[in-house]
Amino acid sequence: MTARGTPSRFLQSVLHNGVGRYVCQLKRLTLVFSKDAQPSRGAREYIEEKVVDFAKQNPGIVVYISPKPCRVPKLVGEYLNGSVREEDINSKTAEEIAQLIQKMANQSGLDIIRIRKPYHTDNPSIQGQWHLFTNKPTSLNLQSFGGASQHTDSP
Amino acid sequence: MVFLSLSRWVRSRGPPRYWRVQEVLQHARHFRGRKNRCFSMAIRAVRRAFVYSTKARKAKKRNMRTLWITRLTAAVQEHGVKYPHFISNLAKCQVALNRKVMSDLAICEPKTFKSLAALSKRRGEEGLVAALGDGKEPEGIFSRVVHYH
Repeated sequence: MTARGTPSRFLQSVLHNGVGRYVCQLKRLTLVFSKDAQPSRGAREYIEEKVVDFAKQNPGIVVYISPKPCRVPKLVGEYLNGSVREEDINSKTAEEIAQLIQKMANQSGLDIIRIRKPYHTDNPSIQGQWHLFTNKPTSLNLQSFGGASQHTDSP
Repeated sequence: MVFLSLSRWVRSRGPPRYWRVQEVLQHARHFRGRKNRCFSMAIRAVRRAFVYSTKARKAKKRNMRTLWITRLTAAVQEHGVKYPHFISNLAKCQVALNRKVMSDLAICEPKTFKSLAALSKRRGEEGLVAALGDGKEPEGIFSRVVHYH
């Protein structure tokens, strides 16, 4: 609805991930599927053909395969920051599931919400932000107290 | 060829009225007064709101530019330059900064902005100084455009 009413965040990445080195943020991936239900067909195909390759290529991700009777097969991804994301994969082909898993592996686990601006910095100012006295002469800082100086002289 | 779905689309009158009403009300939930729950008021308010938001998408760009210009006017005033002179002189010096970046500089990097203002000031005085001055360049400011060929 309105931009103000929706949750939002600033553009960020987890601990400057990708600057220098990249750490895959997906930690665990659970594939919940049924051994015989029709909507799980793509999931079964994916497990037969591609899941081992994926696990070998991504040693940082633990892949669990859990067969249990269910109508809607699911992908449950757990990220390093603790967020858990579920994706339904009913009636999806093996190819689509592979794409979805690749997408989940590339994600950072941060909330997918409106980003306020396409740019962000933690240090907006190097020279110090402008304030009223930035461009004023520094002599304004000095104040002479005629009476006070006399008072200090007297004792 | 047999078209089955088209005739169904023509006959089908969409989802039940309740859901169609909810679709509209969902956009009006944060409105004030009865507009957020009475359909006939909500539909008018929602339609108006959508028109506003469509127009605002264009207006935002214009408003932001106006805001930057206002900020720059205030910022260069401090250094004794007027905004139109500031902008045109910087353009003549081939400074390719837009108003957004310059207003950001004025706020976050005031010293950089001060030198920009000094540059544009010098550029404005150039003609008169060349005619009347002693032919010396001022210290620390180089405002002539140099063409590389």
